[in-house]
Amino acid sequence: MRIPLKKSGYEIIKAEVVKITPMTATEKLYEIRLKNGENLDHDPGQFVEVSMFGAGEAPISVCSSPTNQDTFELCIRKIGRMTSVLHNLEVGDEIGIRGPFGVGFPVNLLKGRDMIFIAGGLGIAPMRSLINYVLDERRDFGKVDILLGCKTPDKMLFGGEVAVWAERMDVNFCCTVDKSDPEWKGNVGLITTLIPGVNFNPDNTFAVVCGPPEMYIYVIQELLKKGMPESRIYVSLERHMKCGMGRCGHCQIHQYYCCMDGPVFPYDKVKDLEGAI
Amino acid sequence: MKDVLLKKELFNGFVEALMNSYKVAAPTRRGDKSFAFNFITDPAEVCLDHIPTILPPKKYFLPQHETLLEYNTTEGQNMQAFVEIEPMVILGVHSCDIAGIQCLNHVFMDRPKDYHYQARHDKILLIGYECLRKCDQYASCGLMQTHTPTGGYDIFMTDMGDHYYFSINTFDGKSLVQLFDGFELADTAAEKTLKKLRSDKKKLFRNETDVSLAEIPSIFEWGFDSHVWDRTAEKCLSCGNCTNVCPTCYCFDVNDEPELNLAKGRRVRVWDSCQNETFAIIAGGENFRPKRAQRTRHRFFRKFKYPVMRYGKFFCTGCGRCSRQCMASINLKETISNLKRSWGEI
Amino acid sequence: MSAPKVAFFDLACCEGCQLQVANLGEELLDLLGHIEVVEFRELMSEKWDGEYDLAIIEGSVTNVEAEEKVKEIRSRSKMVMAYGACAVNGGINGIKNKTPMEENGRIVYGDRFKDYPSMPTKAVGDVIDVDYIVPGCPIYPPEFLKVLKSALAGLEYVIPDHAVCVECRFNENECMYEKGINCMGPITRAGCNSWCLNNGNRCYGCRGLLSNPNIHGARDVMKKYDLDPDVILKSIDMYNAAAGGKDE
Repeated sequence: MRIPLKKSGYEIIKAEVVKITPMTATEKLYEIRLKNGENLDHDPGQFVEVSMFGAGEAPISVCSSPTNQDTFELCIRKIGRMTSVLHNLEVGDEIGIRGPFGVGFPVNLLKGRDMIFIAGGLGIAPMRSLINYVLDERRDFGKVDILLGCKTPDKMLFGGEVAVWAERMDVNFCCTVDKSDPEWKGNVGLITTLIPGVNFNPDNTFAVVCGPPEMYIYVIQELLKKGMPESRIYVSLERHMKCGMGRCGHCQIHQYYCCMDGPVFPYDKVKDLEGAI
Repeated sequence: MKDVLLKKELFNGFVEALMNSYKVAAPTRRGDKSFAFNFITDPAEVCLDHIPTILPPKKYFLPQHETLLEYNTTEGQNMQAFVEIEPMVILGVHSCDIAGIQCLNHVFMDRPKDYHYQARHDKILLIGYECLRKCDQYASCGLMQTHTPTGGYDIFMTDMGDHYYFSINTFDGKSLVQLFDGFELADTAAEKTLKKLRSDKKKLFRNETDVSLAEIPSIFEWGFDSHVWDRTAEKCLSCGNCTNVCPTCYCFDVNDEPELNLAKGRRVRVWDSCQNETFAIIAGGENFRPKRAQRTRHRFFRKFKYPVMRYGKFFCTGCGRCSRQCMASINLKETISNLKRSWGEI
Repeated sequence: MSAPKVAFFDLACCEGCQLQVANLGEELLDLLGHIEVVEFRELMSEKWDGEYDLAIIEGSVTNVEAEEKVKEIRSRSKMVMAYGACAVNGGINGIKNKTPMEENGRIVYGDRFKDYPSMPTKAVGDVIDVDYIVPGCPIYPPEFLKVLKSALAGLEYVIPDHAVCVECRFNENECMYEKGINCMGPITRAGCNSWCLNNGNRCYGCRGLLSNPNIHGARDVMKKYDLDPDVILKSIDMYNAAAGGKDE
């Protein structure tokens, strides 16, 4: 007996690639529109499963702000089997979307507070959804500091947009690369070197940290040194979220499922979990 | 619902009656020492007195390979999710395995609900079978207190010498009994015998370890850094037997299986195991549990700590399969005992 | 779009993997509806001098001619698949790497061994870049089809890096060790759906070792079941000697 299912959780929503912007040698930015006429309606920091039947699915964080309705954006790094397939997409192609999944950044908790954003490498992708949200609703937030880092200048993501952030009078912006090239005029060094230079009031500031796994511990140490409470440092963790529904086990961090309980966690919730950070 | 009795010589007739209306799965012999649940074609195949089967009955609720949906990309990303299942009865399920299914129910009925699981669950009726003695040295149902059923079945059968006592738990169970003519109502004497038998069982099914159930949460509170895990890892071959045969392990992978035309195919979920080295690797190659010790520890914590935090329940049914199937002799009871003993040695 | 041009080649091997393909039966007919086979020595006499979309190579490289042949195949092929244990990790041919070449020659050809030059066995992937592999002796036909479909779709295919035991349990076989039989399953890569074990045989490790096998642990298991632990090293050599079978 064949029992058809309508909402099993594994159905995809058809979506269309409306724009592709090459960013670096390995990253492209995809603008996606759901074909059912609805908005994705995500929180900053949430992710979707991008599906191509025959190839599979990949969890990708939404990098656009929910204030952008109608379409959303995904920054995809060509790094594995599935993302290589996604890199062959063309404008007008149809893909499948499941989600949004997970717990994003606690936007309502952040309102009225000062913000420090610290992103390394591809970590800027999930964080950009929040940065742009904060900048779109700028009056709801206090002081904003953005610290960016990447390996080399040519690996900088969202270059045009980052330049606009840097120009804004209501944003303190700072950027560094691990290794410079002849044209680079900014800082050189690890992102941790930028933190001592930031002035913040530990009583009223939230920090958001996204980056490669090895970055977290050093950045967080610097923040703690300056008196930032653990509960106000938010991190977004990367795992292989496969089902998105807290079952398949691939993204499990001790008792938490990254796809349901994360990917955004306050640091104090995960700091004692070996292997989490 | 009134319980009933069935003379043993009529049991095969009842099984035949079940087979006329349902697909019937029951424990059957599989090799010298092993049993397996299989669909039967003859009541004579049923081995009620079995030690736990190689795979638990979870394979009917969450099959090893399960099609989630069929797709067709000839004109875009089209798909239809479905479940393929016939109404079925699983006969002769031990109370430990019923406890396992109850654990899976917690996981898959929790929000967001898994409708594939639910559709299967709705089509499966369970007839349990009471253990009156310990199956072997691997079981720890005395520790886990799963030797006597606590719901989760439609009918539960108990051997009472010349007849079986049928405890009927659901309307579905009642309708199964109505398929066959040979039942008698259970009288007070039979009910008394059942009570006596169950209280006698408590003496037989004693805690097999020097650890009490109440101690387990605290053992696993501090046991994370114990050296026990390194010792376990030296033995472990990461073969995945323990998780595959575990009635409460439910991790899976999802893969696409295209047809040769490449446009059509199926999206399939396949059992996966946290013991496999590749389980916690992310795109880009970072592995979050690269060491065997981390993986063996993770399995134990997924039985005795994490589900307690999430579902308020231990996810060990004491069936002993993980220890029975472990060619490297990693024994669950010993590991917990050693963990308790290792306190202070860390 | 015309059907992709696929060619089958063989080097040092028993041609048993080709036989598996030839024996696909109805699936072969279905397959032929989606590819154009331009060369396949066991099935047809035609040859092809153009470019191959996919070259499928069986057997290992054991002499200079074979080395040149695979290089030539590579230069004419968009994609190359090595299939069968001989092509993927040297297979049984690798056993000769354990003794000096001259001795091998004398054993096989006697005094005239110099007329038959031979060299240590290499897997195809040791000589040229290979895009797809299908391990096994012989290949497991459903896996071959799976990999072939990935190739036709231009998708990467990763051979599982978990033990044969995983699939053996899926199939609910009684463990060989329970029967007192020494089995390579726990240290051998899955993907064959525990084919041998389903049919009552043990695992010989033809698919190659896991990337990180616990050899010490496996030896302890053998001791526990009163089996000779050295058998494990010999068994590894049977198919993996050319791949540098891991000694402890």
